[in-house]
Amino acid sequence: MGPLSRDAWAQRLGAFRASPSAFMAGPEGEDLGRDLLSDLRSEKLSEQTKVSLLALSMEYPAQLWPDASAAEVAATSLLDTLVLLPPRPSALRRPLLLAATTALAAGGALGPTSGASCRLLPLLLGLAAGSDLGRGFVPASEQRPLQATACECLRELESCKPGLLGGSLGLLRGLLGQEGPVQPLSLLLALALRNTLVLQSRVGAGLGGLLTDKVSPTGGGPWDWTLVEEGDGRLQPQAPSWPAAEEGEGERSLTAREHSPEEARELRAAVIQLLDTSYLLTPVAQAQLLWLLGWALRGLQGQPPALFKPQLVRLLGTAQLTLLHAMLALKAAFGEALFTAQDEALLLRRLTLAAQHPALPPPTHLFYLHCVLSFPENWPLGPEGEEAAPLLLGPQLCRGLLPSLLHDPMALLARLHLLCLLCAEEEEEEKGQLPSPRHYLEELLAGLRQRAALDGGPRALATLCFQASYLVACCLAGQPTVLTPLIHGLAQLYQARPMLAPHFVDLLDQVDSELREPLKVVLRQVVVSRPGRDEALCWHLQMLAKVADGDAQSATLNFLQAAAAHCTNWDLQQGLLRVCRALLRAGVRGGLVDLLQVLARQLEDPDGRDHARLYYILLAHLAAPKLGVALGPSLAAPALASSLVAENQGFVAALMVQEAPALVRLSLGSHRVKGPLPVLKLQPEALEPIYSLELRFRVEGQLYAPLEAVHVPCLCPGRPARPLLLPLQPRCPAPARLDVHALYTTSTGLTCHAHLPPLFVNFADLFLPFPQPPEGAGLGFFEELWDSCLPEGAESRVWCPLGPQGLEGLVSRHLEPFVVVAQPPTSYCVAIHLPPDSKLLLRLEAALADGVPVALRTDDWAVLPLAGDYLRGLAAAV
Amino acid sequence: MAQRAVWLISHEPGTPLCGTVRFSRDWQEDSGYLSFTIRRYPTVEKRARVFNGASYVPVPEDGPFLKALLFELRLLDDDKDFVESRDSCSRINKTSIYGLLIGGEELWPVVAFLKNDMIYACVPLVEQTLSPRPPLISVSGVSQGFEFLFGIQDFLYSGQKNDSELNTKLSQLPDLLLQACPFGTLLDANLQNSLDNTNFASVTQPQKQPAWKTGTYKGKPQVSISITEKVKSMQYDKQGIADTWQVVGTVTCKCDLEGIMPNVTISLSLPTNGSPLQDILVHPCVTSLDSAILTSSSIDAMDDSAFSGPYKFPFTPPLESFNLCFYTSQVPVPPILGFYQMKEEEVQLRITINLKLHESVKNNFEFCEAHIPFYNRGPITHLEYKTSFGQLEVFREKSLLIWIIGQKFPKSMEISLSGTVTFGAKSHEKQPFDPICTGETAYLKLHFRILDYTLTGCYADQHSVQVFASGKPKISAHRKLISSDYYIWNSKAPAPVTYGSLLL
Repeated sequence: MGPLSRDAWAQRLGAFRASPSAFMAGPEGEDLGRDLLSDLRSEKLSEQTKVSLLALSMEYPAQLWPDASAAEVAATSLLDTLVLLPPRPSALRRPLLLAATTALAAGGALGPTSGASCRLLPLLLGLAAGSDLGRGFVPASEQRPLQATACECLRELESCKPGLLGGSLGLLRGLLGQEGPVQPLSLLLALALRNTLVLQSRVGAGLGGLLTDKVSPTGGGPWDWTLVEEGDGRLQPQAPSWPAAEEGEGERSLTAREHSPEEARELRAAVIQLLDTSYLLTPVAQAQLLWLLGWALRGLQGQPPALFKPQLVRLLGTAQLTLLHAMLALKAAFGEALFTAQDEALLLRRLTLAAQHPALPPPTHLFYLHCVLSFPENWPLGPEGEEAAPLLLGPQLCRGLLPSLLHDPMALLARLHLLCLLCAEEEEEEKGQLPSPRHYLEELLAGLRQRAALDGGPRALATLCFQASYLVACCLAGQPTVLTPLIHGLAQLYQARPMLAPHFVDLLDQVDSELREPLKVVLRQVVVSRPGRDEALCWHLQMLAKVADGDAQSATLNFLQAAAAHCTNWDLQQGLLRVCRALLRAGVRGGLVDLLQVLARQLEDPDGRDHARLYYILLAHLAAPKLGVALGPSLAAPALASSLVAENQGFVAALMVQEAPALVRLSLGSHRVKGPLPVLKLQPEALEPIYSLELRFRVEGQLYAPLEAVHVPCLCPGRPARPLLLPLQPRCPAPARLDVHALYTTSTGLTCHAHLPPLFVNFADLFLPFPQPPEGAGLGFFEELWDSCLPEGAESRVWCPLGPQGLEGLVSRHLEPFVVVAQPPTSYCVAIHLPPDSKLLLRLEAALADGVPVALRTDDWAVLPLAGDYLRGLAAAV
Repeated sequence: MAQRAVWLISHEPGTPLCGTVRFSRDWQEDSGYLSFTIRRYPTVEKRARVFNGASYVPVPEDGPFLKALLFELRLLDDDKDFVESRDSCSRINKTSIYGLLIGGEELWPVVAFLKNDMIYACVPLVEQTLSPRPPLISVSGVSQGFEFLFGIQDFLYSGQKNDSELNTKLSQLPDLLLQACPFGTLLDANLQNSLDNTNFASVTQPQKQPAWKTGTYKGKPQVSISITEKVKSMQYDKQGIADTWQVVGTVTCKCDLEGIMPNVTISLSLPTNGSPLQDILVHPCVTSLDSAILTSSSIDAMDDSAFSGPYKFPFTPPLESFNLCFYTSQVPVPPILGFYQMKEEEVQLRITINLKLHESVKNNFEFCEAHIPFYNRGPITHLEYKTSFGQLEVFREKSLLIWIIGQKFPKSMEISLSGTVTFGAKSHEKQPFDPICTGETAYLKLHFRILDYTLTGCYADQHSVQVFASGKPKISAHRKLISSDYYIWNSKAPAPVTYGSLLL
């Protein structure tokens, strides 16, 4: 396809920007990156169009070239285009450099093995150094701007690969001292210096001669990929010089490594060089420099932060957001070493002043106010990370920062927070000429409530009022002088404007019980004292569903009875039923039974009647705890918005058996070898308290008769339980797998069932002894059994390996109950009864050091392989 | 310290901006929003992914971002119902920095504000994990983000007079950002500078050129200094509530001087009975400040020992016009003292207004008007009035009276207006709801301007301006006083007060 026209490109770029993902998924998506690169060399397109193509590639490289190899190809193509530009001024050189840098850095292609990286880096450093790159590569008029651009590109690469320019520090310093453009070089040097110091200190190395060595940019290249590798190729979280913010990082990055006097002197000289020319930088760039150098010098011994002082004096008078912010960063980094107590006080005053200065825009005020409340004090008293009024910020300083109704919501809340902090500190004796902050707070809240109560007022006003109430409740919990009027004020607000019920419900959900409980009581009184038939009935019902509980039942029920007659539509009926439900949950029974009966008859809507009847039935049939669970918030469907669905799910959860993860574990104990049947010994263990546990077992393959369920009244974690005995009735003498189900009730009243991991009944678990023959008749008894096996049965010889314990140990461990004749340590005759009616006879004779030959007979063919496996596994089963 | 992306969104329901927008989308046009993503910065985004680790949330495409932002800023017209994610009392925002819920994840921090029907927004890089959320003050990109957005705002609206100029500036933005913020790290918040830089590109710059000064001036040397004071006031005419007033001054300079780094010192002086300047904030080009200037503050109680100048500001000027400093001052009396009494009498309102110009104030206005709005009421249907001076204009539909006082107060310095006003039925579409002025709570607002005058008496003495540059510059100085937020509240009803008004 030939190059697209300008308009076609404009259209294509527009479509891409509208939704990059949709465009890339479409038919044109695949070719966009390739077309863009090839059309950059087209002679038909204007430079302006090409600049817009490059701009796109700078914003969306990940979409255009999604992997490292594509990014590498793109960067190579961009560099080729740059080299091919005719030697006259062009608007494309700068964006081409930026685009190539972006493609490499964002595409993850930057590295020592990338060809494009190895072309771009020397080119950038050459341009930054102002060297002659030959062949009129850079027209004279563009040299200066490209020098700055190259510095920016290098800075971005250093940002993405910290340590990359560690070897160029000396070179950059030299350039800064000469005629280079001050700002780009200063920022580049400061960043490279910071990164190098961080990385070197991590590996315990010093700066060496890095600050003085001037590598020739055209020689082998000063790229310090090794340093990049030290940094693990990974960016280091910088938490820029903010001590509180970096805790938990585990690595206080600049461990106090001492530099040699020579290194320290050079470092100091470099920092002073940067600071001395910093007034030539734009304010935002000055701020960056201060953040970087502050971070670089933090924790370095022998580098007094007093270096910064002359700059601070100069900057303290400005109100530039970035500059004051950088100053606060230095304050946080160096504390008293840079800011004496007087300096601290002055900085705080300037900050307080800036937070209210009429010449500054509101967002700035708010940010400064945040800074005041997070002020990095030299000697902080309170807990870190929480907003608090600094010690030096007395009521006098705060005077201009207090809220009034004329402020916009954000300013009002920010200032209200400060007022609350003041009120929290206020002590009785401080009542001087100033009006009491607490009194002022009360007036302000009253004003907010008044506005929220305005008929037809926007919701934002109500939201603001409740946010303020919440803030006050959080900050001033435990202060009844504040909370009591707040509660009464809110009650009046509800009286004035019941449609704010959702806000009240939300507030009750958010605040803690200190405010919630008394507020609930007052609100309930407000609601139930009404006749129950005004137009705000739906709000009253919503409110009552939240605040109704076991107290003041009769008033609540009276209200509901009166209201029932006016609940003519579905909404209201549902609201009414929700209150009933809340009362059911709270354990109200008496009068509620009557009300539900009435509702089940009277309500117009069949759905409402059904619900009332259901509640009535539940109330009549379920014990209080079960009822509470049945009506409680549904665990099964927490995300469902529909209350009806959630309700049904709740019933299902409460009234039916639920599949649940196993809260009980079973382990197999040693089996008992007495009595006519093999019996398994099970040890149960609960993870949570459970009740009425029933364990059901199912034998796979019907090898045994069906097993009885086992019942345990109660199991508690940590309390040892008695072992459970499970008798087995084998139908044939074979090992089996038992599936186990548990059925139990949780402490919340839910009935659950769970699959437990299967239990395995081993061959040996089925062994039973023959009745003991009389003394001395053992051998005869055994021989008789032995002979009886043939001819129907089977005979075999097995080699049973012996462990270090020898034959005697093996027998005593595994076969003791079944030994009929024993001639220790060399010979044993063993007779095993395998229910229902098989036998297994073993002769263990003439043991050698590592094993014993076993002659075995059985009357059941099927037992033979099992017996063989068993014997062979004995030694290992110690 | 960098930005991941920057947006500019015009917010003017119904009237989409046309012209050179980079793109627009259907649903936005429907709702009257146009968005210009100014820039995304993929290399910064890549760093964010590493720094934020598991807590990383990518910058979304424009559509979802815009929707979430408008919701958060309450600019979607659907606040009829309570929506917990917006209206819950525990969602408290105390700065212009938001967390936006997008596709179940929260994008934070988003710096955003609305000004002049434009929403400015950016997402600063946080160079650490976001969980737990670090304190805002520790995120260096936040202040940079603000400065960036303020810079864009200044560029768009400084000296701009009409929509076509705005559109021209909007079309210049992408190229300017390529200069001022090529990789997401802001190099210069003054975008005008970057524009000049592009134009100056062919000039070979000499060494040690400040980055904030893109070229050098050639021509006749001249220095222009203008002092603008705004006076605001809240007057209640009530027992127990103090009236308050404050002067806010701005000193603007334009220095056309040859040489790379000419040094200038400007001194502001006060007459003997002048009011000391306080809360002085200076431009970053000021090279040093007297500690008396740094510490004089309105926070402290005033006494006679307050520093009263001269206030010296040595600086190296940038090329463009700039605000050398801002100050506030507490003058002993407000320039115009008045009262406003309004009473509801059955179907009409009875109003009485009295204004008195203080004798020390220059009685020569460019204009002087009292605006008397009536909120939350219908249109004015009937008016009877008597005034001792000036004319009354009636804006019936707007429920507004404007008392045009003119250029001079009469010799007595005191004027009055009284009358009765009747209103028609209120219609909600035309009369926006005002939450403050309900019932009889009402105010009148004064608008006036006096040229060649400052209330503090502050002036820039032409002879005290020192310029260290070749040639003797022509120095011109201008002064003016304008009113701003000058309210007189109805003394017969409750009025909103500030804490300061309670300090009697």
